[in-house]
Amino acid sequence: MKDVKAMALNHEKVKKNTPFERQRTITGVCFLLPTIILVAVFIIWPLFQVFNLSFFEWNGVSSTKRFVGLSNYTTLSDLPGFWEMSWGTIVYAVGVTVFTIAISFLVALFLDKQGKARINRSFMRVLWFFPCLLSMAVVGILWRIMYNYNNGVINTVLKSLGLSPVNWLETYGVTRWAIIIASVWTQVGMCVVIFLAGLQAVPIELFEAAEIDGANSRQKLLRITIPMMAPSITINMLTTTIAAFKMYELPMIVSNGLPGYNTLLLTKKIYDLGFTSHDFGRGSALSVVLILVITIISLIQLFFLRKREEV
Amino acid sequence: MISRKRMARTIAGELLFLLLTLFVLIPVYYFIIGAFKGRLDIVKFPLSINLSMIKDVGFSNFSYVFKRMKMFQALLNTGAITIFSLVIVVICGSLAGFVISRVNRKFFSAVYTTLVALMVVPFIGCLIPLVIQSTQLKTYNSLIGCILIQSAWNLPFAVFLFTGFMRALPKELEESAYIDGCTMIGTYFKIFLPLLAPVTATCCIRGGVGIWNDYLVSNSLLNSVQTPTLMVGINMFFGARKTEYGYAFAGIILASLPIVILFLFLQKYFIKGIVAGAVKG
Repeated sequence: MKDVKAMALNHEKVKKNTPFERQRTITGVCFLLPTIILVAVFIIWPLFQVFNLSFFEWNGVSSTKRFVGLSNYTTLSDLPGFWEMSWGTIVYAVGVTVFTIAISFLVALFLDKQGKARINRSFMRVLWFFPCLLSMAVVGILWRIMYNYNNGVINTVLKSLGLSPVNWLETYGVTRWAIIIASVWTQVGMCVVIFLAGLQAVPIELFEAAEIDGANSRQKLLRITIPMMAPSITINMLTTTIAAFKMYELPMIVSNGLPGYNTLLLTKKIYDLGFTSHDFGRGSALSVVLILVITIISLIQLFFLRKREEV
Repeated sequence: MISRKRMARTIAGELLFLLLTLFVLIPVYYFIIGAFKGRLDIVKFPLSINLSMIKDVGFSNFSYVFKRMKMFQALLNTGAITIFSLVIVVICGSLAGFVISRVNRKFFSAVYTTLVALMVVPFIGCLIPLVIQSTQLKTYNSLIGCILIQSAWNLPFAVFLFTGFMRALPKELEESAYIDGCTMIGTYFKIFLPLLAPVTATCCIRGGVGIWNDYLVSNSLLNSVQTPTLMVGINMFFGARKTEYGYAFAGIILASLPIVILFLFLQKYFIKGIVAGAVKG
């Protein structure tokens, strides 16, 4: 493997200072320029700026910013509902990830099976993917209506089954799970697609060999499918966790952080600090925290992917 | 005997699967039939539909939403943002991918590494400086500002896709073009551009769905009354206040229909986009 790489590198080692190569480099820079400008202005500069702003106290209007050092970070915990928000964000991320992975793995296993007397697979695949096509904004409205205490479909069904209705959006502790369920609904489809791609890549020979050795279907699942699917599971777990930390629209629309701070997430707090209370300094400090959290999760993801490539 | 037993197990499995499927099916079914029903029918019989319910309402929910919500303007704004951003993303992304995959310089691979690293950054983390920036650049509430931001934030993934695709193309293609006296620009247009159709489709669909469905960017960078986009407009209309369910469902269907139709025709590229996104570093 290394020899091949070395050979490729040798092949690539063309003389770099011929007029031809210089010409190519200049043209290349010109081709890259629009991308570099766009990314520098709209991603890198704001990224730098958010770090910068997090050291200042600023309301966004006044012309002077007051340098306060790290105090924006150290006073984050004084924000109303800070601890509940942090805990809530973690519960939300973990809850969404666990349920999404469990459901989508099960669904992918079912979808992968083919044969007579089974429901049309391509139809089911489209159905399970469908929620991913909808905007979070739209999904938020839909679930908000479904969770409605008096008129929502969920309570109507509960009542018709003889159960007592639940006040989904105004009960402390329940609303958090209502939000998690709605988020799982939108995330499952993506994971199903990735799991299906992973399942189709498992070599059939392994199952054939196991069958010859007399393994039953549970053994095949535990000893072949799940270990072979480990990379897909890791990827799905990390991407779902990142998506959960980034999620803003859905909880904002369904419950708007209520009741109390029960469904207040980090992202919503950033938005509120920036554009409701105009506390740009602390808003930026919280943004930095979010960026760091997501970067760390992504680094873990990268680590796992590297490991897989080496194997 | 054995086959009968196996059959029974298959059917039991399918039933279980069907039960699980109700989780996605019920909400979807609920809002699709709800769009054709009146207010009372939605509340009293949420999951049933018959001809007399449809007869009373027909498409009146849709026409109401279309008239009252400034749907047409929202559709134009969202359409313009999506199309122009995608044009910018495809042009810049393919050019960048071409250079990065074909010209062997350290600077270019450094740019590539930076772009791939930037895929991680969450948009909402940069929201505060971006809004400040948009007032400084006087692009607040202009579609152009929104288009530029959407293109910039979609570019890293596009460059990643294009670079990966072009690296896999044989080197001989390019070399023979040079021998025949083609310039680099000529090579790009005549040799590479025609080959890029599949990756362009993947890129457009992946980016297009995100931009079409976007709420956060247009909500924070556009004035939602003067320049509504679809998702922002729908939320202003149905978000906070007590809503007429039938209208909300009709709005949801109208706003999502373009993407759903696109999906039904181009499923393959949707799947490709997701799988490529998952394997990214």
